[in-house]
Amino acid sequence: MDRSTHAMLAVTWFGLIGLMLVFYVVTDGFDLGVGILSLLRKRREDHDVMIQTIGHVWDANETWLVVLGGALFGAFPAAYAALLQDLYLPVMLLIAGLIMRGAAIEFRHSVSHGPIWDKVFGIGSLVAAISQGVILGKVITGLTPGPMNNAFVTVSAIGVVAGYSLLGSTYLLKKTVGNIEQWSRRLALLSASITVAAAVVLTAATWFISAVGHDRWTQPGVFHGLIALGSVSALAFAYLIGSLYLGSVRGPFRASVVLFVVSFAGLAISLFPNFVPGKVGIFESASDTSTLVFMLIGIGLIFPVMIGYNLYQYYIFRGKVVGGAHAGE
Amino acid sequence: MHLSDVLDLSRIQFAMTAIFHIMWPILTISLSAFLVLIEVLWLRTGNVGYYRHARFWSKLLVLNFAVGVVSGIPMEFQFGTNWAEFSRYSGQFFGNILGFEGAMAFMLEAGFIGVMLLGWGRVSRAVHLFATSMVALGSSISAFWIMVANSWMQTPAGVTVEGGKIVVTDYAAAIFNPDMVWGVTHMWVAAIETGMFVIAGISAWNLFKRRNPEFFARSFKIALLVLVFAAPVQIWLGDSSGGSVFDKQPAKGAAIEGHWITNRPGAAASWSLLAWPDQKAQRNDWSIEIPGMLSILATHTLHGEVKGLTDFAPADQPPMLPLLYYAFRVMAGIGFAFMLLAFWTAYVVRKTRGSVERLLEQRKLLLAWVLCIPLPYVAVEAGWIVREVGRQPWVVYGLLRTQDAVSTVAASSVTLSIGMFLCFYVVLLITFFVLAHNWLRTGPDLTLNPPAPFKTQPPAVVTKS
Repeated sequence: MDRSTHAMLAVTWFGLIGLMLVFYVVTDGFDLGVGILSLLRKRREDHDVMIQTIGHVWDANETWLVVLGGALFGAFPAAYAALLQDLYLPVMLLIAGLIMRGAAIEFRHSVSHGPIWDKVFGIGSLVAAISQGVILGKVITGLTPGPMNNAFVTVSAIGVVAGYSLLGSTYLLKKTVGNIEQWSRRLALLSASITVAAAVVLTAATWFISAVGHDRWTQPGVFHGLIALGSVSALAFAYLIGSLYLGSVRGPFRASVVLFVVSFAGLAISLFPNFVPGKVGIFESASDTSTLVFMLIGIGLIFPVMIGYNLYQYYIFRGKVVGGAHAGE
Repeated sequence: MHLSDVLDLSRIQFAMTAIFHIMWPILTISLSAFLVLIEVLWLRTGNVGYYRHARFWSKLLVLNFAVGVVSGIPMEFQFGTNWAEFSRYSGQFFGNILGFEGAMAFMLEAGFIGVMLLGWGRVSRAVHLFATSMVALGSSISAFWIMVANSWMQTPAGVTVEGGKIVVTDYAAAIFNPDMVWGVTHMWVAAIETGMFVIAGISAWNLFKRRNPEFFARSFKIALLVLVFAAPVQIWLGDSSGGSVFDKQPAKGAAIEGHWITNRPGAAASWSLLAWPDQKAQRNDWSIEIPGMLSILATHTLHGEVKGLTDFAPADQPPMLPLLYYAFRVMAGIGFAFMLLAFWTAYVVRKTRGSVERLLEQRKLLLAWVLCIPLPYVAVEAGWIVREVGRQPWVVYGLLRTQDAVSTVAASSVTLSIGMFLCFYVVLLITFFVLAHNWLRTGPDLTLNPPAPFKTQPPAVVTKS
C-alpha cells in the first residue's frame, strides 16, 4: 500500500514536471525563437516591433524554468543533482544565454548602445536554444559520450533551434502586420521543414541505434501510443502547412504548439520510468511520500492559479503590435 | 585535480553569485512595496503628483528587476551543478522550499510585472494597483521562502537522517525552525531599509541640486517616515537574532565576537569593542574590552554563560575570523548610524514644520543622505557574510559539512564558469549604472497625466504613445 502510494505520487510528479516542461518549452520557446529570428533582421525598427511582441511575457515564460527546476529539486533531489552535475557545461551555457537576453531586453533602451544590446539579445537567445538542444540530446543518449551520440546531440541542437524558430515565426505572424508578418510566414515554412527533418532523424536514430530506446519503444502499449502521437503530429504538420498557405493568422501558431506538445508527450513516454535512460530512475530518485504530498498541496493547488494569471497577461496584451516606437516606454 | 580545488572554487563561485544577486531583490522588495503605497495614495487623494511618482520610480524598478531576474537564475541551478551532494542530502526539504518559492512567489512577480509596467491605460486603475500589489507580494513571499530555506540550514529542525539523506518528519518544525522568524524579519526589514535609503538618497540629491524640490520633498518625507520606524525595529531584530545565534550556533556567536574562553559560572563574559582574532594562536592578538558586557549583549543577563571558541575543536570553528568579526561590526555600526540619521532628520523636518524651503537649506544633512545610498548594500552584504561564513564548516549546521556537499566536477569547468560570471557581472553593473545615471539625469516627467479611466473594453491593439 505504502509502496504503491509512493509510486503513484512519483508518477504524478513526473507528469506535473513534464507539464511544466511543456509550458516552458512552448512559451519560452516562442520568445527565444523571436530572439533567434531577430538576428536575421537588420533594421532597428523591426527589432522594436519583434521585441515588443514578447516584452510583457518573456519574464513569466522564463519563470517556468525556475518553477520546473524547483519542482525537480524537491520531488526528485537525486535526479536534480545527477543531471545538473553531469550537464555542468551546457547548463552554464544555458544560464549564460538567459543572462544575455534577459539583460539585453531591458538594456536595449540605452540610447547610445541600443543596437549592440539587440545583437546580444539575439545571440543570447540562440545560445540558450542550442544549449537546451544539447541538454535534450545528452539526456536521451544517456549522458554517455561517443561519436554516434555526439552526432545525435548535434541534430538535437539543430532541431531545438529550428523548433523554437518555428514557434517564434508563427507567433510573430500572429502578432505583427505588414513586412514582418509576410517574412515570418516564409520563415515558418522553412523552420517547420528543418524541425520535422530533425525529428525524423532523431526518431530513426533512437529506433535503430539506441538499445535502451528500442527496448522501451517495443514494450506493449508504448508502440501504439507512439504511433498515435506520430499520426497526430503528421496531422498537425499538414494543418500547419495548409494554414500557412491559406494565410491564417492564428492557425500556424496553434499547429506548432500541437507539434511541440506531441513531441514532448512522446519524449515522456519514451523516457518513463526514467529521467535518463538506463541511469536515473524516477522511483529511486523521488523524495519520500511526506515531501511529495506536501509539495502537491503547495504547488499542485497553485498550479491552476499560475496558469490563470499567465493567461490573463496574454489577454491584456492581445492583438497585433503596430508602430515602431521603443517597446516598454 | 584535487577535490579541495573544486570545493574552494565552488565556494568562491557561490559567494560571488550570491553577493551579486542579493543587491537586486532587496531593492525590488522595497521599491515595489513603496509603489503600492504611492498608488494607494494616488487613488485615495486623486493627487496626480503620486501618479508621476509611480511612473518615475517604476523606471528604476525595471532596471533593477531585470538584473535581479538574470542573476537569480544561476543561484537555483548552482545547487545542482556545484553542490550535488548537498542537493541529494537535503533536497527533500530544501528543494521543496525552493519549488514553493518558484511557484508561489517568483511566478506571481513575473506574471504581474508586465501588467504593472506596460499596462497603464490598458487596465483600470484598481486592476493596476492589484498588479503592483502582486509584484510586491511576490517579492516578499520570495524573501520569506528563501529565508525559510536558509534558516533551516542554520538551525535544521523537523528532519531525521536516513540512508545518507534527510527525511522530513515534521513540516511545521522544519519551516518554523528556531532561526526562521529572526532570519525572515531581519532580512525583510533590511530590504525595506535599503529601498527607503535609496529613495531618500536620490530625493536628497535632487533637493541638494534644487531640482523639482516639491516633487522630491514628497518622496524624501515618505521614505523618512518609514525609516523612523524601520531603523529602530531593525536594531531590535538584529539584537534578537544575535541572541538566537548565541543560543543555537554558539561557535558562530563566539567567532563574530572574538570570544575564546567560556566565562566561569557567576562571572560575566567581557565584550571586545575592537580586536584582532588569531585562529592559529587561538586567542586575540590584541583587544579593547568592556568587562562583563558580552553576557549582557548575548544573553540579556548579567552573568549568562557565553561559550568561547576554544570549547570547539579547531575543525569545528568557523574560518576567516577577522572577516566575520569586522563584517559584523560594519553591519551593526551602519544599523545604528541609520537610526541616528533618521531620528535627527525627522527632528529637523518637524522643527521646520515640513517646510520644503527650510529642508533645502540643510545642505550637509541632504549630502549625508546622498552618501548613505551605498551603505544599506554594504550592511546587507556584511550581514550575509556573518550568516554564511559563520555557519562554516557546516553547510547544514551540525549535520552536513561543506566539504561533503560539493559536486564531482572538473575544477577547470568551475574556473570557466567563475570567469564567465565575473565578466557578466562587470558588464551588468556598468550598464546598470550608466542607465540609472541617465534615468537620474532625465528626472521625473512632471507633465505626465494619467490615462483616462475607461468604462468599456481596453483597446484591442497595442498602440504606441
